[in-house]
Amino acid sequence: MPIEIPKDKWPGKIRTVTLGATSEQGGSRGKTVTLGGASTLPFMNFEAPMPHPPQIAFELRDRRPDDWSAVVLDVWGGAADDPAVWARAAEEQGADLLQLSLSLTNAQGNPTTPQMAVAATRKVLESSSLPLMVYGPGQAEADNELLVAVAEATKGERLALGICEDKNYRTIVAAALANDHLVVARAPMDVNLSKQLNILITDMGLPPDRILMDPTCGALGYGIEYGYSVMERLRLAALQGDSMTQNPMTVSVGFESWKTKEAKVGADVPSAWGEWTERGIQWETLTAVTLLEAGADLVILRHPESLRRVRLAIQDLASIAQAA
Amino acid sequence: MAGHTIRFSPQGRVTEAPTGTLLSEAVARAGIDLVQPCGGQGRCGRCVAQVCSGEIRARSTLRLSEADLEAGYVLACQAVVEGDAEISIPPQEELTRHLTSDRTAGAVSLPQGYDPQSSQTIRRIHLDIAPPSTDDQTDDWSRLLGALRRQASIGNISADLNLLRRLGVILRASGWRVVIVLDQPVQNGNARLLDIGPPETDEMPLYGITVDIGTTTVTVWLVDLLTGDVKAQASEYNQQIRRGEDIIARIIYASKNDGGHELRQLVLQTINGLVDTVCQRARTRPEHVVKAAVSGNTTMLHLLLGIPPASIRLTPFVPVVNQPPPLTAAEIGLEIHPRATVDCLPGVASYVGADITAGTLSSGLEHAETTSLFIDVGTNGEIVLGSREWLIACACSAGPAFEGAGVRDGMRATKGAIEEVWISSETLEPTCRVIGGGKPRGLCGSGLISLIAELFLNGLLDKAGNVNVGIEHPRLQMGEHGAEYVLVWAEDTVHGENIVLNHVDVDNLLRAKAAIYAGFSVLAESVGMPLEEAQQVLVGGSFGQYINVEKAIEIGLFPDVAWEKFKFLGNTSVQGAYLALIDRKARQKIADIAARMTYLELSADNTFYEAFTSALFLPHTDMSRFPSVAQKLARPQEKERAP
Repeated sequence: MPIEIPKDKWPGKIRTVTLGATSEQGGSRGKTVTLGGASTLPFMNFEAPMPHPPQIAFELRDRRPDDWSAVVLDVWGGAADDPAVWARAAEEQGADLLQLSLSLTNAQGNPTTPQMAVAATRKVLESSSLPLMVYGPGQAEADNELLVAVAEATKGERLALGICEDKNYRTIVAAALANDHLVVARAPMDVNLSKQLNILITDMGLPPDRILMDPTCGALGYGIEYGYSVMERLRLAALQGDSMTQNPMTVSVGFESWKTKEAKVGADVPSAWGEWTERGIQWETLTAVTLLEAGADLVILRHPESLRRVRLAIQDLASIAQAA
Repeated sequence: MAGHTIRFSPQGRVTEAPTGTLLSEAVARAGIDLVQPCGGQGRCGRCVAQVCSGEIRARSTLRLSEADLEAGYVLACQAVVEGDAEISIPPQEELTRHLTSDRTAGAVSLPQGYDPQSSQTIRRIHLDIAPPSTDDQTDDWSRLLGALRRQASIGNISADLNLLRRLGVILRASGWRVVIVLDQPVQNGNARLLDIGPPETDEMPLYGITVDIGTTTVTVWLVDLLTGDVKAQASEYNQQIRRGEDIIARIIYASKNDGGHELRQLVLQTINGLVDTVCQRARTRPEHVVKAAVSGNTTMLHLLLGIPPASIRLTPFVPVVNQPPPLTAAEIGLEIHPRATVDCLPGVASYVGADITAGTLSSGLEHAETTSLFIDVGTNGEIVLGSREWLIACACSAGPAFEGAGVRDGMRATKGAIEEVWISSETLEPTCRVIGGGKPRGLCGSGLISLIAELFLNGLLDKAGNVNVGIEHPRLQMGEHGAEYVLVWAEDTVHGENIVLNHVDVDNLLRAKAAIYAGFSVLAESVGMPLEEAQQVLVGGSFGQYINVEKAIEIGLFPDVAWEKFKFLGNTSVQGAYLALIDRKARQKIADIAARMTYLELSADNTFYEAFTSALFLPHTDMSRFPSVAQKLARPQEKERAP
């Protein structure tokens, strides 16, 4: 007996946001990446097509990180010592785009200078053709100083600069405006705060199609339900026509997953936890897939194996839904 | 335990205190007044004292700077006596009276068609009583009852022991012709004998008082019960203020040691002082006051009655009593006629008290044909939505920002407070109006609202309340808490320091206004009515009189409805209590209001938080709720400016 599947039709639609610019577009990227465009909930292809399926980025650092899980550092090996090598490796491992995090200090403990930040960014751009996101160290003053220099040195590349927060967004947005870049707007797991930050940024004159929303996520076992619920509500508000929630969402899954004890610690844990590497990868993969279901348009990962698994999951989810 | 000698300068007072005594207690014992706005929790940093010499141990030094500590400053409420000491107490903030009801005195008019005869519960009756004889050995009390039944058709009365003790003497001394004063709350119902005297008692007028106990201000009206006319009005700061500026601080204070007793004494002193004042103005004496109607929030009434208010603060937020029974002045401690009836008006819940039921009556909301809003703005914002058909109320804690606390240069609306600000859109230079004229000392609540609205509309604050550091202007500077706006330069202030608004201040005010607005929206949503459809917005509370509607809408405190829908009513609580005092039908209406008002507990409502964060924005995250502000933001050059 044929079953009629009820279909929802929504008045609103997610904006499309394109990162990166090719040489014809004034940049140097080999391709651009477009996010968003959905007009229904994730993977509901039978209701409306998903014009731009979720994308996956790798997170890189401007120098070998001190605080990453050994499981991740081992797999990247010597590449993690040089952003140029790392970027090339990341592209080879199948990333759609790259996210470079600038460190607060160099390995000797001296503050990262704007020149150092620009140099690291240039290396990544030169050794990879993928669109790039650049995040500051996460301290307002350092973020502003470094990102302004990066924005000016890479004018026209349509980088995504982050992270804008409600107490510190003005300088980064101004730099993005002046140099044809995008911004990432992060709010602490709250629908209204996400929306408010988008309003603040568009009030400065940055077009909404140059803003990615980062609703802040929690890893599996560390508040993922809360983050899921906020993302779901943001997506529902967007589909219901609330313009200031209609931006694509990006989530730093690698950052959140690999700082959990389960992913980070290999010794002195119960044997029932299983093998460390597999556990860490599972943690990152499950967190990513869960948040894709909540509406993430871009997940930023750290482990190449996680990328392969998440990629498969995206393909499976998209095809199953289509078959239905 | 050994006593230590504590000397206080410049007052020159000395007291003895055993080891472990709080310095604040020693200060009080020495008869020195030291303000403790946070109720002695060590949070506000106002009760500073300087230890010149001796042994004082500081338990907590929150809010004191390194320099303060080096100079020997301690918080009196957090410092413990451990030996003899010499203490210097800095001069306390001057309380200049700035009270609204004195200004509006005489504006009260009697309700239309008011008839004291049928409306007043207090009755004065002449009785001719047949003297006893050997033929008629009926007792004195039965004789009085018989005469009353025959001559006034009043069947059942009660009297207290003190009157019975004097009854025989009075009857015989007056030759069995007396005047009695009765209180008969229900027409043709039981009555209580208040007084009995010789026929000349007739010459003495019968007075009543209405009392409104606000967290900040206490108001007393003296009323002639024979005519219903208001004879005098007076207001005074609630003396409890120095033991906590908000309700929660007072409840905490009340639950410590003998705090409840002290707070009761403080409010009684305040009320009794005001009764003296109004009686002097009307050339009468307090013992001629035979009835009182008392309004106030639930906590204030608990404290007056000496009922521990602790449960009001703790989940599930239940008071001991919402509708106290009729009491007498003597048992409460009011210094009026000892047998005077004291009627504490009924409340609805812990945070919707008699002030709101009385206010609902006097604001006219109770008779509104169409749905209207009634709000009482203060430390707590109480909001009532409804009409003559239905009423629903909620209360939200706005915090003390509107009263000037929790703000760097905040102060109460006393002399020297900036109450309104205009900022020139060309020069970004401000113009201020200061209460009492002269140099300013700080900003009161209305000044803060006004300043934030002006900063926002001139682009100096963004919608999140961040100071716009992108603008170069001498008044925008970096302070201790990041970027700040200098409203008044040091040389133009009383204390010789800049008056500034920093980000912490803006955050506090945003939270306060968001709480009130969220209260509005949750209440409206709970009945499925858009807020903008309210036909009237009735604003009570004396603070409400100073709010500039335009600016309150601009920051998103009040809903964006046409200005003419706003009605500022002043102290609606005391007006309601007045009606209850003079008119038994009005009193019954307040009881009916209390009974039919639905209370919405916001802490149990999960939409409140959503509404709150959504309102934590200038004016609101959902701009479509504030079309008039959106219009102003779109056309900044057409803004109206004060000359």
